[in-house]
Amino acid sequence: MTPLLKVCDLSVRFGQTVAVDGVTFDLARGAALGIVGESGSGKSVTCRALMRLLPPATNISGSVEFEGRDLLNLSEPELNTIRGKRIAMIFQSPASHLDPLMRIGEQVAEALVEHTDLKGRAVWEEVLRLLDVVRIPDPDRCARAYPHQLSGGMKQRAMIAGALACQPDLLLADEPTTALDATVQKSVLDLLAQLRREQNLSMIFVSHDLGAVARVCDDLLVMRRAKLVERGPVTRVIDAPQHEYTKQLIASHPDRLASRQVAAVSQGAPLLEAQGIQIRYGGKSLADVLTGREGGFVAVKHADFVVRPGETLGIVGESGSGKTTLARSLVGLVKPHKGEVLFDGAPADPSGRGRVAYLRDVQLIYQHPYEALSPRLTVQAAIAEPLRRHRLCPAAEVLRRVAELMAQVDLAPDLAKRLPGQLSGGQCQRVAIARALAFNPRVLIADEVTSALDVTLQAQVMDLLLKLQKERGLTMVFISHDLAVIRRLCNSVIVMRAGEIVEAGPTASVFDAPQQAYTRALIDAIPHLHGDAA
Amino acid sequence: MRLLQAVPVLFGVSIITFALMVATPGDPIRLLVGDHASPETVAALRDQYGLDAPIHVQYLKYITNLATGDLGKSLRYRVPVSQLIAQHYPVTLFLVLYTIVLTLPPVFALSVWSAKRQNGPADQIIRLLGVLGLAVPVFWLALLLARFFGVTLGWFPVSGFGATIPAHFLHLFLPALSTMIWVVPILVRTLRSALLDEMNRDYVLTGMAKGLGERQIFRKHILPNSILPTLNLFAVIVAYLLGGSVIVETVYAVPGMGKLMVESILARDYFVVQGATLVFAMTTILVMLAVDVVSALIDPRVTP
Repeated sequence: MTPLLKVCDLSVRFGQTVAVDGVTFDLARGAALGIVGESGSGKSVTCRALMRLLPPATNISGSVEFEGRDLLNLSEPELNTIRGKRIAMIFQSPASHLDPLMRIGEQVAEALVEHTDLKGRAVWEEVLRLLDVVRIPDPDRCARAYPHQLSGGMKQRAMIAGALACQPDLLLADEPTTALDATVQKSVLDLLAQLRREQNLSMIFVSHDLGAVARVCDDLLVMRRAKLVERGPVTRVIDAPQHEYTKQLIASHPDRLASRQVAAVSQGAPLLEAQGIQIRYGGKSLADVLTGREGGFVAVKHADFVVRPGETLGIVGESGSGKTTLARSLVGLVKPHKGEVLFDGAPADPSGRGRVAYLRDVQLIYQHPYEALSPRLTVQAAIAEPLRRHRLCPAAEVLRRVAELMAQVDLAPDLAKRLPGQLSGGQCQRVAIARALAFNPRVLIADEVTSALDVTLQAQVMDLLLKLQKERGLTMVFISHDLAVIRRLCNSVIVMRAGEIVEAGPTASVFDAPQQAYTRALIDAIPHLHGDAA
Repeated sequence: MRLLQAVPVLFGVSIITFALMVATPGDPIRLLVGDHASPETVAALRDQYGLDAPIHVQYLKYITNLATGDLGKSLRYRVPVSQLIAQHYPVTLFLVLYTIVLTLPPVFALSVWSAKRQNGPADQIIRLLGVLGLAVPVFWLALLLARFFGVTLGWFPVSGFGATIPAHFLHLFLPALSTMIWVVPILVRTLRSALLDEMNRDYVLTGMAKGLGERQIFRKHILPNSILPTLNLFAVIVAYLLGGSVIVETVYAVPGMGKLMVESILARDYFVVQGATLVFAMTTILVMLAVDVVSALIDPRVTP
C-alpha cells in the first residue's frame, strides 16, 4: 500500500537560517504521527511547509508527495483544491487564528462554501452537525457567537470543526493544545483520538509535550535543531530512547523526574499570611450602587492561607481562577479590596507605606521572562539595578555581587554583557531569578515561571529553584497550572477555582486523596508518557 | 447611553462660546450703531439686546433660548441666527460630503495597492506623493488650483456655490479637491499600515489552510479588520473638515459656515458666532456618535 503522504528530504531555509534540514518520513492512511521537539527545532515549520503555508521568500526544497502529487510543485490554484479539502490544519492559539469579526458558524462554513456544492440552508445545517461532532454544547447558539464570546477550549473545538468540514484525509495539528488549560487540553486530545478512530483520519500532531503526543499518536519523530534525530513507535521511543537528546527530553518529563523527598511542613510561626483577601477589578458604576450589586469583576473572592518559613506553597488552578491576581496582591501590584497580608506576624501593606522595605523580603518572578526584562538593559545592568537602587551593597562591590548572583543561578559569566534578546528563554528566566535574589529576599513568589519554557529548560529551572531553596532556606509561593510541577516542588498546595480556594492541604494528601471533584479532574488531566493512547 | 454623554459636552461648549464672546474686546452695539449715536440710543439698544444684565443672567437667558431653538438675532443682518445657519450649513455639509465621496475611492485603491506590494516601486511612489500632499499647505494649493484650473484653463468656476445641484458639483469641485489632497495621504497611511498588520495575522494563515484564495481572504478577512482603526481617524478628520472649511471657503468664496463664521467674528456678531460654534460642536458630536455606531456594527466586541 502506498503511503498517503511521502515526505522526502524536506529542507526549509529562511535566508541563511536553516529551519528544517533533510527531513524524510512517510505517513500511512489512518496513521497518526507525532513530531516533538523544543521551540525552534523546526517542527512547526515542517508542518507548515507540507501545505506551503510559509512566507513567500522561504526556500523549500525536497518533495512532499500526497497521493502521488508533489505539493511543492503545484500551482497556487491547484494547491487550494487540496488545502482545506484533503488536508486541513489546526493551530496553536485558537484566539488569534479565528477572525474576530466573523461568527463562528460562518468561519466553519467557509471551507464548505469553497470546496463543496452545498448552498444556503444546507451549509448551515452541516455547520451545526460539525459543531456537534466536535462536542460543542448548544451548536446553534455557538454558531451565531463571535470568537471572543467563547472560551479557549470551545474556540479550539470550533477550529477543529472548520478543519473537518470537508472530511479531509489528513489533519495537521500544530500544537493544538499548548495554549489550553490542562482539563481542556485533555478533552481536546480525547476528541482528536476519537475522531481518528471514528473517521479514519490520518494525523500529524506537532507538540513540545510528549505526554500529549503519547495520548493521540502511534508513531513519533523527534526533532532537534532542524534535524530529525529519532523516529519510531511512541511506546518504543519512550521506553527505550536511543538518541542522547531523546533520552534527555524524556528524563525531563515530570513523570520521570525522581520524585523528591518532600520535607514535612514546618510548624513554625507563619512567615506570610493572607487573611480574607478579596480582589476585584473595576469599580461600582452608578447602576450598581442603585441596585445594590457588587460592581466590577471579582477575581479573588476570599483567600486565606499561611506560608511557614522554609515551606513551598503551590497555588494551582486553571486560567482565570485568580491565582496570578492573588500572587500580585502579595507584592502590592494589585490592591486587595478587603482582607490583609501579614508578614512575620505583623500586618504588611504591600501597596502602601513600608512597601520598599517589604519588597526587600518578598520578591516576585514573572511568567514571561522576555517581557519582565527591559530589552535595553544588559544582563549585568538588570541584576545590578536593584542593588544600586536599594543600596544593598557598596557601589564598588556591585559588579562582584552581580557575578556572584549569576554564578548562583548557573549563568555563564560571559553572558553579563548580553541583552535579553540574545538569550534563550531559560537564560532570561535565570536572569529574572538572579534579579529577584539580589534583594536577598526571604520569600520568593514564582508566577508560572516554568510555563513558557521547554521541558528540558523547565526541569533545569525547577532544579535551580530547589537548589536555591535548600541553600538559602527560601520560602516560596509557587503558582502554576501544571500539577506535575507543583507536585515535584511544593510541600503544601491550594487549589483555586473561579476566585475561590476549593481545596488546601499538604501536597501528598491533596494529590493522593483529593476531596473535590474539580481537583480530581485536574489531577486526571496531567499528561503522562504512557497515556491512554488509542 | 452615548447620547447622554453628549449632554455635558454640549453644556461645556455653550459655556465656552459664551465666555469667549463676552471676553472678546470691542463693543458690538458701537459697531452696530456707529460712533455718532447718542448714549441714549446705545443704552436703549443694550437694554433691548439684554447686554446690560449681569453675565450669569445673560447666560441663563441664552440657555433657555437655546432650549426653545432660539439662537438669537444677528446684530449685522437683523435676521434670526437660525435662519443664517439654515442658509449656510447645507453648503458646508455638501462640501464635506463631496470631499468624502471624492476621498474614499482613492484611499482604498491606493492603500490596497501599496500594501499588496509592500516596498515595491508603486508603494514607494504612493508614500512619496503622500508626504508631498501632507506637506503642501491647503490655502496655497487652493490658490494654485484656482489659478490653473479656474483661470488658465477655465474648466471650473473659482467662486460661489451655483444655483442647481449639477452646478453645486461643478462649483465645489476645486474646494473639495484641495481638501482631499491632504486628507487622502493621512488615511492612506493609516489604512496601509492597518492592512499590513492584518495581513500578518494568524487568521490569514487559517484562511490559507482552508484553501481560500488570496483575494477571498483579503476581501472577507483582512479588509474588514483593517477598516476599524482607520474609521476612528476618519471621524476625527470629518470633524476637522467641518472646522477646516474656513480656509477653502474663504479662498473659493463659498458661502458656507466657515465663511459665515469668519465674517461674523470680524464683525463681532456675537450671536451668530455662538450659534455657529454650537452647530459645529453638535455636528462633531453626531459624527463621533455615528462612527461609534458603525464600529459597533462592524466589530462585535464593541458595545454601543
